Amino acid sequence: MNCQCENNSEQAEMLSLVDAIIDAAGSERKAIIPLLQAVQAAFGYLPSDAIRRICERTEIGRAQLISISTFYTQFRHIPLGKHQIRVCTGTACHVKGASNVYDAFMRYLEIPENSLTSADRLFSVEKIACLGCCTLAPVVQIDEKIYGRVMPGKVNEVIDDFLETQSEKEKDETRKARRQAKGEIRLGMGSCCMASGSAAIYKELKTASAELGIEVNIKPVGCVGVCNKVPLIDVVKEDGTIDRYPNVKVIEIKEILHHHFKPAGCLKRLKNNILGHIDTFHTDITWDNVVWKPEHERTGLISNFLLNQKHISTEGFGFLAPLNIDEYLAHDGFEALKKALAVPRTEIIETVLKSGLRGRGGGGFPTGKKWEIVASVPGEHKYMICNGDEGDPGAFMDRMMLESYPFRVIEGMLSASRAVGADRGIFYIRAEYPLAVERIKRALDLCREKGLVGQNIAGSDFSLEINVFEGAGAFVCGEETALIASIEGDRGFPRQRPPYPAVSGLNGFPTLVNNVETLSQIAYIVKHGAEAYGKTGTEKSKGTKVFALAGKIKHGGLIEVPMGISIRQIIEEIGGGVEGGRKLKAVQIGGPSGGCIPAALCDSPVDFDALTRLGAMMGSGGLVILSEDDCMVDVARYFLGFTCDQSCGKCTFCRVGTRRMLDLLDKICSGKASMTDIDLLEDLALNVKRSSLCGLGKTAPNPVLTTLKYFRHEYEEHVNGVCKTGTCKNMVKYVITQDCIGCTKCAKACPVDAIPYTPYEIHSIDTETCVQCGLCIEECSYSAIRKIGLRKISRNMNEYEYSN
Amino acid sequence: MNMNIQINDKTIAVREGETLIETACRTGFNIPSLCYARDAVHKSSCMVCAVKDCKTGQMIPSCTAVPVEGMQIDTESHDVVMTRTLSLELLLSDHRADCEAPCTLVCPHGLDIERAIYYYDENRLEEAFRLIAAAFPLPELKCTACKVPCEKVCRRGTVDKPVAIRALIEEICEKYPPLPAPENHENRKADKASFLSRVGRFTETEKKRLKETVTTRSRCLHCACAGKKGCKLRMYAGEAGIKRSRYDASSALPAMSRQEIGSGLWFEPAKCIKCGLCVYNSDNGFTFKDRGFVMQIVLPPENRANINSRLAELCPTGAIYS
Repeated sequence: MNCQCENNSEQAEMLSLVDAIIDAAGSERKAIIPLLQAVQAAFGYLPSDAIRRICERTEIGRAQLISISTFYTQFRHIPLGKHQIRVCTGTACHVKGASNVYDAFMRYLEIPENSLTSADRLFSVEKIACLGCCTLAPVVQIDEKIYGRVMPGKVNEVIDDFLETQSEKEKDETRKARRQAKGEIRLGMGSCCMASGSAAIYKELKTASAELGIEVNIKPVGCVGVCNKVPLIDVVKEDGTIDRYPNVKVIEIKEILHHHFKPAGCLKRLKNNILGHIDTFHTDITWDNVVWKPEHERTGLISNFLLNQKHISTEGFGFLAPLNIDEYLAHDGFEALKKALAVPRTEIIETVLKSGLRGRGGGGFPTGKKWEIVASVPGEHKYMICNGDEGDPGAFMDRMMLESYPFRVIEGMLSASRAVGADRGIFYIRAEYPLAVERIKRALDLCREKGLVGQNIAGSDFSLEINVFEGAGAFVCGEETALIASIEGDRGFPRQRPPYPAVSGLNGFPTLVNNVETLSQIAYIVKHGAEAYGKTGTEKSKGTKVFALAGKIKHGGLIEVPMGISIRQIIEEIGGGVEGGRKLKAVQIGGPSGGCIPAALCDSPVDFDALTRLGAMMGSGGLVILSEDDCMVDVARYFLGFTCDQSCGKCTFCRVGTRRMLDLLDKICSGKASMTDIDLLEDLALNVKRSSLCGLGKTAPNPVLTTLKYFRHEYEEHVNGVCKTGTCKNMVKYVITQDCIGCTKCAKACPVDAIPYTPYEIHSIDTETCVQCGLCIEECSYSAIRKIGLRKISRNMNEYEYSN
Repeated sequence: MNMNIQINDKTIAVREGETLIETACRTGFNIPSLCYARDAVHKSSCMVCAVKDCKTGQMIPSCTAVPVEGMQIDTESHDVVMTRTLSLELLLSDHRADCEAPCTLVCPHGLDIERAIYYYDENRLEEAFRLIAAAFPLPELKCTACKVPCEKVCRRGTVDKPVAIRALIEEICEKYPPLPAPENHENRKADKASFLSRVGRFTETEKKRLKETVTTRSRCLHCACAGKKGCKLRMYAGEAGIKRSRYDASSALPAMSRQEIGSGLWFEPAKCIKCGLCVYNSDNGFTFKDRGFVMQIVLPPENRANINSRLAELCPTGAIYS
């Protein structure tokens, strides 16, 4: 009986919490998404009692609740384990074996196939579209902590490490502000940087500088783009020159500090010196002495990486702190806004029209044109929506921009609103980007304090209130009509246009929807004028484009390049060539809406029209480099799998069509297809492209169509049962060669016991049991395990062997 | 405001508030559609009403597309017809239902066997008898000499064992030996000429479910579609000359699972094409669940009170019927 009472009180407590959430979020139909997000934030999932309460107390009915909570992937109906493991399955992670990592977690935690959670309810494992840390692929996130370069054999270490850091109580000692030394230390604190341990570096910088008595300004800055070299520290010396230290480790911090800065007192310096020497006796850590070789002296790599880039969207790159509004103002921040307020509206639109700026969200529609329409339509209210629902696997430039340059985007939004006469602004940001949401909210508060957002901005008659709406996890919501539907509290179903949102959008009012990157270019255009902007880029594609360079590339990262640069230049000059000296096979550009451009065509320039001609698309700007080890059919299947999963399901061609295409690709990858299946696939792909309702469906077949166009022979090989790269598991088997010395390492590593434990004998693999996870290949020190094709490829060769 | 558009070389003045399909149908062009219903809330889904915008080469759904000045629309070309056919094929590849019961289709006498068994199960034996009598020259029962292909194709046979159709018919006929063969009794023959959808193979879970739940006297699954009368999907598929979808069926839909939903209506998800007409036209009634290919239309039990019988008329397939 006692227990019952407790349950009752627990229940009452829960309901009162739900009531409080309803009171805060509102009880209208369109409040549903923020409402459910708040409930989930409070309970970790959507308890059925809470849902019932919402039905009772609000306008939201059971039908709408089911409809919304099952459409958006963010919402869960069953509680997950204590910690969530999210395995990124973005493009970059996919080509680096994310599915094997996922399988490894599932096996290690002994989670059955139809479940997500381990038996002790400590961990839940799920796949996530993209964490946006593509350069650290494969990436896994446990709760807030991100682990990069996770290998299937290392999952136990990852989990152990996580549990260890959990048990350690984090001590955060805040130190008194001291007299500042000249110069400063800048440290990138974007999501990628955080993933590679920037937080620890930051902490160490703080403690070390305190310990050594070095008083220097340590400044976290936005993403520096050189994601493959992070954590990265820039030391600004007294004379203003910069020494750059890539891949910094915690133990190197003291040395760096010591090298550049003099401690306050003489005595302290002496003490440090002595202690430093003692330290070297006490440790046996040998490392490349960073101090004497700052990056630019050593290889010049990063300088090259940055050389061909041009910073328009990312102006203030590397030195602006994301949330320091005074600093932003000191660097000509909000100049564009001032200018926009000073001139007539038509003039701003004219400038943007003349600049030739085209929407960076994918379609490439002229931005000025859109503005003109919104400005010309009469409306009691007008909305300005910043589209930050970037969901492409393998693209994270919007996230970077929102995290690192929040004021710039806000400024772009203010200028745009002023130009079209919008009086209500909404930031639509994926909930998967918590840091971006947090920074934008904070930045908006700072702007409000300065009178830059809200009523009568900067003393003018222009007013704009900006709110943040968190997207609940649906790729299709990047499409503007779907985005608007989701803000209105509906499923993210796109609708037939016209009417365009510019005429009748959110709540029926004219609505301007611009992508984050587009808006971040606005400030530059308004400030410097159309002509200055037009100097960069090609005739029909002006300005710069931010790309996320990832995949099989030596130096991946976020890059901003002028339009018209060739793909090969990006790969060779900025990216430093293909990883591991392999040959370039193709470039996947534009994510699931884009296509694969073969190496032979990589001299083509990067601009909207050239890419469209090649069958690809600018898309949102994922640039994944594929080497000769990548199977193009598998790449096509991967992207189609993504769009098929993200299809909203409204129209037949996208819902059923993409699924049938995927069925056909599965068939081809399993070696059971016939040649007619390829034609059937192509025919269907062309029809889905032409007849789908929205952009998602219309572009979904692009990866398939381009691979069919440029790599048809690979499809034909698959029909014949051969996957030359050994990617398609149904076409290869693992064997152990005579090089085996019988060390049993592979037998111990095998998660499914397919290799019998036979010490000092040549091992063997039971093909039936083998799941081809690759762990044994990773373990073997003698390269004695190889993948071979099941079907013979030519008369001379019985089995096709892969180079691994 | 006067606006003109061109439909198949004919210039047409557009009326205020019309969508393309309305303009076209008003002026004598025939456009098929499933998810469109006049005077009801509809949102493009099926794409069977696709027409070609000649300027962009894109196929657009005429049911919601708004005419724009100077538009050139093609509603009849081979291209357009092929798109419509493909959309029907795609819908049919995710449509797990039999239009006609296989037993009825194979009966050499053309007896609507499924119907007769339905009467039998409902204990309306006389009606069952009349149906049989219209097909067979009674009192001499020809079933005895027949090789009973009906039992060989019986869907129940794929679950456990076929319905004992011959024995059933004999049982019915024995009850009414004195009744003479009714005159002018219409024998409902199976519509073999029209398109025939096939349910395909049952999954193991479906077999288990059917075995456990279908426990009528005859054990008949009654696979013939009860809503076929108003089924536009079948009609258009027949018109398009589709025999079988080119795409292999893989479906998450539960075959032969029907539920009574109140107001005398039945709902069978496996026949649903997810056009959403029932969702948009019932307030807090039917709703979408999940998204993409696995999206379903569901009716939460507590929403049954919000269902009206109009939904059966609106449903373009046999998924909702009375």
